[in-house]
Amino acid sequence: MENRSEKEIPSRKRPNLVKAHLDAITIGLKTLLTRKPMTMMYPEVSEEWPEGYRGVIIYFYDKCIGCSLCSQICPPRAIKMYKVPGDKRLRPGYDIGRCIFCGLCVEICPVDALAESKVSDKVFDKLEQMVFDPIDWTFFTKDLQKEQETRRNKVRVIIDEEVGLRYESTVTK
Amino acid sequence: MVLDIDLVGTISTYLGLPPELVRAVLAPLIYPGLGVFTVIVLFLIWAERKIAAKVQLRVGPYYVSKRLHGALQMLADGIRVAFQEVIIPLEAEKPAYILAPILSFAALTVAFAVVPGGPGIYGFSSSMSLLIVYAAISVSPILIILMGWSSSNKFSYIGAGRETLVTIAGEVTLLASLLSVAMMYKSLDILEIVEIQRQTDIIGLVANPLAALLFFIAALLLTDRIPFDLVLGEQEIVQGPFTEYTGVLYALTLALDYGKLYVLMLLFTSLFLGGWAPFDSVILGVVAVLAKTILLLLLAVFLRSVYARMRIDQVASVFWGRLFPLALLSFIISALVAPLYG
Ligand code: SF4
Ligand code: SF4
Repeated sequence: MENRSEKEIPSRKRPNLVKAHLDAITIGLKTLLTRKPMTMMYPEVSEEWPEGYRGVIIYFYDKCIGCSLCSQICPPRAIKMYKVPGDKRLRPGYDIGRCIFCGLCVEICPVDALAESKVSDKVFDKLEQMVFDPIDWTFFTKDLQKEQETRRNKVRVIIDEEVGLRYESTVTK
Repeated sequence: MVLDIDLVGTISTYLGLPPELVRAVLAPLIYPGLGVFTVIVLFLIWAERKIAAKVQLRVGPYYVSKRLHGALQMLADGIRVAFQEVIIPLEAEKPAYILAPILSFAALTVAFAVVPGGPGIYGFSSSMSLLIVYAAISVSPILIILMGWSSSNKFSYIGAGRETLVTIAGEVTLLASLLSVAMMYKSLDILEIVEIQRQTDIIGLVANPLAALLFFIAALLLTDRIPFDLVLGEQEIVQGPFTEYTGVLYALTLALDYGKLYVLMLLFTSLFLGGWAPFDSVILGVVAVLAKTILLLLLAVFLRSVYARMRIDQVASVFWGRLFPLALLSFIISALVAPLYG
């Protein structure tokens, strides 16, 4: 068996086993002792998203004219119209769990009452908390805007040929 | 020596008990036994994860105790596991399922009683102590197979089957290496072997490096370290024979492999590195033994980050096809170097 396969693949040299093992171990040791981790310490430091990043949709109650176009265009029906007490018109409510962040609602809104935030890492305890009625959505929007302003330690990822990945702070600018 | 302390003598006169009894209780329970083993295993799992992380350019355990680089992570995990509910599957054979991990760990403590941890630090001495250690270690595969069988789980069955194959291949190599050691020193008593090395100033690693290499590789196989982690096989069979275990029993199964590794590396220190070689005093001797053992343990866990896993047929062919002939060669080397030790 061995003879035949060696004839068929003549160019392939058998590796020197002892040397290969020693090489593997030295490379491992070298990496262990000299290289620094490339990890981005995520919750403390987060990535600065580029212009046009589509995150969670935020909603401005005062601008909205209640035309319900957004709920009609939304592909997964994440936006539904709600009746708000003391308001004649229907207003949109939002289910984050369903949203696919396609941005169609933002584009169709005639008065720019909807916008894309740059946050996409919100966490909720319960499924029900992910569904916002118009009032909830307004408060959520305010919280999110505040959080976006206060979030520090934004970094930009740089691919470096020698180090691998590097992170450059964007806050100082 | 100034640093010499006679702890066993002090305690035995204080309690009025025979020193042999004090020795036989202290060694398996404190050092080199469970007490020190617990600390070492917590450190070792942390080191294993940290080393693997560093080699792969990650950070590894970090958030529990940031100042200590996450060293307390394992303590936190241990506490969590200790208070976890022990779930026994409905189809499991209950007595065997519960007793197998406990018994196998108990068998391991027998080995703790025999392996010396420093000059005059051992549970009991015997002219057959090498064989006793080997016997204590080779009980556990049977109980691991029992665990796999009693869990009534496919993964456990497969793991138990692999344990059989791995045990046979690994123990032949380990036994061959131990036999060539016994031939070389003409003794089966670990204490005597250390003394012989200290008197002649030639450590076993120099005299018969092949036996040392075989011993180390077989130890890696028997304790499921990464190039040969067939039995655990996380990628395909979850946790092998230990898949169904939870809580304290899971901790025991995890500690079993590390315990075997610890005992085997202590044994390696005594057989091939001259034990407490350069020192005479108790404290320095213990430090020397521990330092050598920890270095070996770190090497064993470091290999995880360098090697890929081997397939089951590759392991079998490496052990039977390459290492077994090498074992025969190491017999010859032993016969040649035996006159060195008189
Ligand atoms: S982004 Fe798309 S899915 Fe999300 S609410 Fe707007 S239209 Fe619906
Ligand atoms: S499309 Fe804009 S204006 Fe119309 S209901 Fe939706 S948010 Fe309000």
